[in-house]
Amino acid sequence: MAMQPAARAVTVWKIYGSGEAQVQALRGVSADFERGKYTAIMGPSGSGKSTLMHCLAGLDTVNAGEVFIGDTQVTGLGDAGLTKLRRDKVGFIFQQFNLLPTLTAEENIKLPLAIAGRAPDKAWYDTVIQTVGLGDRLHHRPAELSGGQQQRVACARALVSRPEVIFADEPTGNLDSKSGNDVLNFLRDSVRHHGQTIVMVTHDPNAASYADRVVFLADGEIVDELHSPTADGVLDRMKKLDRRGDADA
Amino acid sequence: MLKAMLRGLFAHKLRLILSALAIVLGTAFMSAAFVSGDTISRGFTDLFSTVNENIDVQVTGKSDVPVNPAGGEGLVTALVPQSIVDKLKTVDGAQTVTPQVVSDGARVIDKNGKAIATTGAPRLGGAWVDGDPAVEIREGNPPRAADEVAITANLAKTGEFKVGDTIEVITLQPRQKFKVSGIAGYAGGRDSLGGETFVFFTLPVAQELMLGTPGMYSNVDIKAASGVSDGELKRRVETAIGTTEYKTLTGQETADAQASGIQSFLNVFKIALSVFGILGLITGAFLIFNTFSMLIAQRTRELALYRSFGASRNQVLNSVLLESILLGLVASLIGLGLGVLLGWAMTKLLASSGLPSGSVVLKPAVAIGTLLVGTLITVLAALIPALRASRVAPIEAMRDAARPDKPLRTMTIAGLITLAVGIVLLILRGTKAVDNNVITLGLGSFLIFIGAVMLAPALTRPITGAIGKLVDWAMPGRLGVRNTGRNPRRTALTAAALMIGVTLATGAAVFASSVKAGVTDLFRSDLNADLVIAADFASGPTAGFDPAIINQVKAIPGVTSATAIQSDAVRLNGKDGFASALDVEPSKTLFGLKAKSGDIRDLNAGEVILNDAFATETGLKPGDSTTLVTARGGESPLKVVGILQPNQLVGSPVVSFADAQGFRVPVAQQGYVKVADPSQVDAVRAQMKTLVADNPEVTVTDPSEQLKQSTSFLDLLLNVLNVLLGLTVLVAVLGVINTLLLSVFERTRELGLLRAVGMSRSKMGWMVATESVLISLLGALLGLIVGTGLGIALVKIFGGDFLKLTIPWGFLITALIGAVIAGLVAALLPAIRAARLNVLQAISYE
Repeated sequence: MAMQPAARAVTVWKIYGSGEAQVQALRGVSADFERGKYTAIMGPSGSGKSTLMHCLAGLDTVNAGEVFIGDTQVTGLGDAGLTKLRRDKVGFIFQQFNLLPTLTAEENIKLPLAIAGRAPDKAWYDTVIQTVGLGDRLHHRPAELSGGQQQRVACARALVSRPEVIFADEPTGNLDSKSGNDVLNFLRDSVRHHGQTIVMVTHDPNAASYADRVVFLADGEIVDELHSPTADGVLDRMKKLDRRGDADA
Repeated sequence: MLKAMLRGLFAHKLRLILSALAIVLGTAFMSAAFVSGDTISRGFTDLFSTVNENIDVQVTGKSDVPVNPAGGEGLVTALVPQSIVDKLKTVDGAQTVTPQVVSDGARVIDKNGKAIATTGAPRLGGAWVDGDPAVEIREGNPPRAADEVAITANLAKTGEFKVGDTIEVITLQPRQKFKVSGIAGYAGGRDSLGGETFVFFTLPVAQELMLGTPGMYSNVDIKAASGVSDGELKRRVETAIGTTEYKTLTGQETADAQASGIQSFLNVFKIALSVFGILGLITGAFLIFNTFSMLIAQRTRELALYRSFGASRNQVLNSVLLESILLGLVASLIGLGLGVLLGWAMTKLLASSGLPSGSVVLKPAVAIGTLLVGTLITVLAALIPALRASRVAPIEAMRDAARPDKPLRTMTIAGLITLAVGIVLLILRGTKAVDNNVITLGLGSFLIFIGAVMLAPALTRPITGAIGKLVDWAMPGRLGVRNTGRNPRRTALTAAALMIGVTLATGAAVFASSVKAGVTDLFRSDLNADLVIAADFASGPTAGFDPAIINQVKAIPGVTSATAIQSDAVRLNGKDGFASALDVEPSKTLFGLKAKSGDIRDLNAGEVILNDAFATETGLKPGDSTTLVTARGGESPLKVVGILQPNQLVGSPVVSFADAQGFRVPVAQQGYVKVADPSQVDAVRAQMKTLVADNPEVTVTDPSEQLKQSTSFLDLLLNVLNVLLGLTVLVAVLGVINTLLLSVFERTRELGLLRAVGMSRSKMGWMVATESVLISLLGALLGLIVGTGLGIALVKIFGGDFLKLTIPWGFLITALIGAVIAGLVAALLPAIRAARLNVLQAISYE
C-alpha cells in the first residue's frame, strides 16, 4: 500500500459570490501531496492556486469535496478543531508579515510550541537554529532583522513543531534574489535532510524549480504537472498556460 | 474637500461613539446638577411666595443669634408678646392682624413607637388659626379642646392616623397624648408645602408646648387695608413698634429671606455636582485626545495625500477642527438632553420625599454653558494631535505611516520638574512659609497630578513589565504584556484617565481614615465614660432629653459621675459660636477637665468657664465680665470664673444649665455616665433605658458604639464621593475599550498570524484582557500612589489631634481588585472582536 499523503484534496469546489458575480475559484480539484516531498503550486493570477492552499490548510472552507491533512479530515472541523490542526499539524510561511514585532527571533520561532504549551525538542531545535543560520541575531526583534533573516525565522518557526505539512505562500515574493535563494535552499534542505513535507504557492518559475514536483492550476482546475522541474521547463509550461488563457479571452 | 474629510470622520463609527459617549456622560451630569438644582430652587421660590401670598407685612422678634454660627438667617426668633399684638391692631391701614404660633420640634410618635422623621424639613407645631386662607380642614374639625390636634395630611398618611385616633407628640415637653380632631391640607390639594409636617394645637397649648411661654407669639401677620401698599404699611408698623426689638418685613421680603437660605444650600449642591460632571469631562478629554491622536495617526497618509493635492495646512487643521466641533456639539446636545431628563428624574425622586417640585427649569445659561464646556473640551483635546499631524511633511507621511515613537526623555524631564514644583508648593504650605491655600494646596496638588501624568509613559514599561511577570508564563499573557509596552504614550494616556478618579478617591480615603483614627484615639484616651445617652442624629436639631434626667441617673446605684451636655449657638463676648452647659465637677472625671487659671467648679447662673482657645482669642481672664446672647433668653451678663486647659472633648465655653434655658431647645443632646465597677454597667444601662424609654429619639449606648455612629457619617460621605467619582471611572473604562479596539484594529494581521499558528480564540481573548487589565492596573496604581501621597500631605499639613495618619489598606486593595475587574469588563468587546477575526482576511489585511 502506498504511503498516506501528507495532504489531500478530493474534488474540492470553492465558489465565491452568487448569481452574476459568481466566481468558481476551484472546480473539483483533486490532488495528493506526498509525504516528504516539496510540491509547488503554480498558475497565473486568478488560477485559484492560493485558494487551493488556503483550503488545504483549513484557512478557508470549501463548498464541496474533502480535504485531509494526514489522516485528519479538515473539512467539517469547527474552530477549535481547526485551531488544534493548525497548531499541531500545519506550519505556515507567508509572503510578508510573518513575525510578531514584540517577540524576539527566538521567541517567534518557539511561538507555536509556546502556544501549545509544549517544550521544544532540544536536539531538533538546535538543528533548526543551526540550519536557519541566524547566529547571534536570535535575541533581536524582527524590526532589527533584514527581510531575508525575517523570512528564515519564519521558516524555522514553521519547522520547529515538525508539522505534517508546511504551507508556504509566495515565501520569496518580497525578497531580493539572493535572500530568496537562501530561503528556497533552506526549504529544500529541510525536505531532503529531514523529510519535511512542503506545499508552496508561487508564480516564480525559479522558486518552483527548487520543488520536487510542480502542479499547474488554471481557472480552478489542475491542468498539468511536472516532476523534478527546472526553471526553464516551468517557464515553458507557464507560457503555454498563458497562451491558453489568451486564447480563452 | 470638506465632504471627503467628513467621510473620514464617520468611517470610524464605533470609536467616535465611544468618545462622544464620554462627552455625553460628562455634560449630562453637569447639566443634570444644574437642572435639578434650579428646578428645586424654583419650587421653593414658588412655595414661599404661596406661603406669604396672604401676608402683606410680618412682624417677628429679633434675635441676634444665628442658628448656624457659620452664618445664615436664624429660623428661631425672639417671641412677640400680646402687648405688641394689641399695638399692631391700632396701626392705621392694618385690616387684619393675625398673631401666629409656629415652631420646629413637634415630633409625632408612629405606631412602632418611633418619631416620624422628615428628610430635613422641619416638623412644625403651632396654633390653629381660623380663617387662614392657605390652610383647610379636609376631614373632621379644627382643634377646639386642649387635648385635640389637627395634623397635616402627610402626617396622617405616614403614620396611618385617622380622625378620632389618639396620637402622642413630643414637643418642648415629653410625649403627650392628643386626639386627632381633624386632618388638614393646603390650598391646591397639597398635603404639605415642602415636606414639612405640622401639628395644629389650640392657641394656649401651642404657646406652652411649642414656645414654652404662655401669652407669646412667634410672629404676627398683617393684611393691609385696600389702598395701603405693603411698603407703606411696613413703615407705619415700624413707626408704631420701633425697629430695635422687632423686625418688620413685607410678604415679598419674607419670602426672599426664607428662600435665600435654601438657595445658598442649593448652590453648593449644584456646584458640587457639576464639579464631578467637569471631572468626568476632563477624563473624557483624555479619551478624546487619544481617539483623535489615533484617528489622525491612521489618517496621516490620507491627510498627506490631501496635502500633496495642494490642500494647505490650515485646510487640514480646519477639517479636524470642524470634526471636533461637530462631535463636541452633537455629544453635548445629547448630554444636555440626557441631563434635563436626569434632572427631571432627580427632582421627581426628591419630590416623592417631600421637596417641592414643578416643571423642569432649564436656564439658558445652563444650556449654553453645557454646550460650550462640552464642545470646548472636545475641540481642545482634538486640536493638539491635529496640530502635530499638520506639521508632518506630505512625503514623509506617505512614505511611512509608521507611528512616530519619539523618545520620552523631554516629557519625562518636564514631568519630573512639574512634580517637584508641586511637592515644593506643598512643603511651603507645610512649613507655613506660604499660607495661601489655593496656590499651595490647590496648585501644588494639581501640579503633582499633572507631573505624574507626564511621567506615566516612562513608567508604563517598568510597571506593566513588573506586574506582567505574573502572567508571563503563558503565551497570551506574555503577548499582552508586550503589547501594553508597545505604545507607552497611548497606554499611559489611557491609564491617566483612570488615574483622575482613583487619585481623588484615594486622597479622600486617606484623609477620612486619618480623621477616623484620630477621633477614635481621642475618644479612647480622653473619654472616661462607660455609658452614653445620645439623641439620634437623624432626628434633627430639636431631638434630645430633659437634662434633669441626669439627676435620676446619678441616683442609680453604681453610678459615680454623670453629666448632660446641652449645646447651642450663642453670641458670647460679641462672638458667634457654640456654648455648652454641663456639670463641671463630674466632667473633671469624665472628660479630664483641668484648670489653667481660676476655678473649675459647678457653675451658677451668670457664670462661665472659657476654653483655652476662646480665652486666648478674646483675652478674657477669670474675674472679667462679658455678655451672653441666647436664642430665646436675650442678652445677659456673665462673669468668667475659670479657664480650661486645652481639652479635646470640651472645646467650647461652658455655661450653667440655668443660662442654657435661653437656648433654642430645652433638651440635652448627650449624657455621659461613669460606673464604679464594670460588672455594674449592664444593670445601670438597663435602668437608664427605662428612664428614657418614653423618648424614641434618645438611645443609651456605650462610647465605642457612639463613636461608630458619629464616624458613620464619614463613611456615608466617602460612599457618596466614590459613587460620584464612579462617573470618571466609567468614562475611563470607555477609554480603555477605545484604545483596545484601536489596538485590535491596528494589529489585525498580527492577530491573524497568531490564529494561523494555532492560537485559540479564548487565548486571543486572554491576550487582549491582559493588556486591558494592565492598563487599568497602571492607572489605578499611579492613582493610588499619587492619591495616597496627596492624602498624607494633607494630613501632615493640617495636623492636629483630630488627624492620625492612617493608610486605608482595605480601600487600596479594593481599588486594585476593582481595577482588575474594570480591565476585564473593558476587554470584553475588544476581546470578542479579536477572537472573531476571520483568519484568512486578517492575514491578508492591508
